Amino acid sequence: MNISIKRIRAIFMKDYKEFSRNYAVSIMVIFPLFFAFLFRDGGEVSIVFLLNVSFAMLTTFVQACLIAEEKEKNTLRSLMMTPASMLDVLLGKSALVAVISAIMMTLAVYIVGYTPTDIVPFVISMVLSIVLYTALGTICGLYSKTVLEASLAIFPVIIIFTMGPFGAAFEDKFALAKLLEYLPSSQLQLMLTNTAEVGVVMPLMIMLVWAIVVTAISFMLYKKRLMDA
Amino acid sequence: MHIEERFEKGKRIFPSFELVTVPNEIVVIQTNAQRKELFLQAVQQQPDIHTYLSQQGEYERLTVEELLRFLIDLTGDPMSVQAWLERCHLQAERKTKICNLISSKQRYVRLLRVLFATQSSIVIEEPFFYLDDEDRLYMKQLLSALAQTKRVFIVTSNLEDALMVSTHIYRLDADGMKKFDIADEEAVNEEVEVEEAPPIKFEKISTRKNEKVILFDPPEIDYIESIEGSIVVHVGGENYTCAMTLTELEKRLQHYGFFRCHRSYIVNLQKVREIITWSKNSYSLRLHVHDDSVVPLSRTKLQELKMLLNI
Repeated sequence: MNISIKRIRAIFMKDYKEFSRNYAVSIMVIFPLFFAFLFRDGGEVSIVFLLNVSFAMLTTFVQACLIAEEKEKNTLRSLMMTPASMLDVLLGKSALVAVISAIMMTLAVYIVGYTPTDIVPFVISMVLSIVLYTALGTICGLYSKTVLEASLAIFPVIIIFTMGPFGAAFEDKFALAKLLEYLPSSQLQLMLTNTAEVGVVMPLMIMLVWAIVVTAISFMLYKKRLMDA
Repeated sequence: MHIEERFEKGKRIFPSFELVTVPNEIVVIQTNAQRKELFLQAVQQQPDIHTYLSQQGEYERLTVEELLRFLIDLTGDPMSVQAWLERCHLQAERKTKICNLISSKQRYVRLLRVLFATQSSIVIEEPFFYLDDEDRLYMKQLLSALAQTKRVFIVTSNLEDALMVSTHIYRLDADGMKKFDIADEEAVNEEVEVEEAPPIKFEKISTRKNEKVILFDPPEIDYIESIEGSIVVHVGGENYTCAMTLTELEKRLQHYGFFRCHRSYIVNLQKVREIITWSKNSYSLRLHVHDDSVVPLSRTKLQELKMLLNI
């Protein structure tokens, strides 16, 4: 599959203009900043909560809406007939969402006034999370026909991924709740709040596996869905 | 290009056929909505065909200029945005967002995608639907220019749209793709006109009453009788005399459903209500007019009348 930087850039710019002028979707960029103001001077638990919610509400939501809108307007089918390959389209879109997320998360972390003890693992975990949540957004977008459906489809992501860490509280009652610890959001929390005990390698490895698996699923689904369409 | 046959509910919608191509010309396929849909489905499965469906949407928040820039970057088209704007007559709208254009222009802008197609064949569904006259003209020019380098097919259910854009019109029906011969049809129409036009002037029946000449349209006449050598035309209960003979009248009026029911009578069959049988050899026709006139029907003419009325 051929990739062209020129085409990816064209799709990136097109999506940027569409995104910035669609206030129903672009309003979401304020979300992390708003939470950041609420959690100013909060502890590490609140910064982790802020990050996890923002990933779902911003990264996943925007990606799902971008893809669903193209499907709704039949422009994705039309895009497939141009020389742009599937990968061009997906990379162009994901790049936009990733850049927006990265900027907003940096600002949010700055506003909260959080300084990670070790910057390198923190940045790696952010990059992995952005990849993972973008892929989740792709999956949500592919399963919805309209933007409206897409905005509902991200609810399972919000609930499972951001509420996961709280599920650990039920560990004593339900053995299954222990599995929630392996969610990337829980791993992020463990890594940032409990570094001394779990270290950084194990959480990052688990997040890496998540990112690779979900991205692979989103690519396969994308390919399959477009063949059907 | 080969299109496979399609069935729906056990009925053949169209057989397999070869898509006819004409170099440098647009080919129009005229068909009904159901066949159009199935045909477009079949076409979409073929590689190297760009299909434009009428429900195509657009990136509505981009301006016209931004959309063209995007399409140029995406397809690597050598022409500049400025050249494209001029070519498509869109300079005035260049800074307008597509969602703020009037609906005809929105449809026009959506159609521009086909001009950037890299495939060698392009199938367009209803390109002229809901376009203003001006936009139709521009689109026709653009598509005709496109046909110089690509094979362009237009699928429409509207014959008028088809006639506007091309002389190569094919009709797709249960028997396949057949050429729709426009020139012949026109010639046939002319012939029919030549046949019909003069008789309308002539078929007025001129009669006299009280020194006035009165003209009747054949359908007005109830029946005509011959009384002692003079011809009497009965219309709405009134009598008028006519200078022609019954034989002449019969010849002239038989196209209008008149029938020589008796040696001295011609009757307008449209007005006959009842065939009365008096005895085995004696019959009459009762007319459906206000005074219930009865006209004799001779035995020899009965068989002829029965044949005529399919009874």
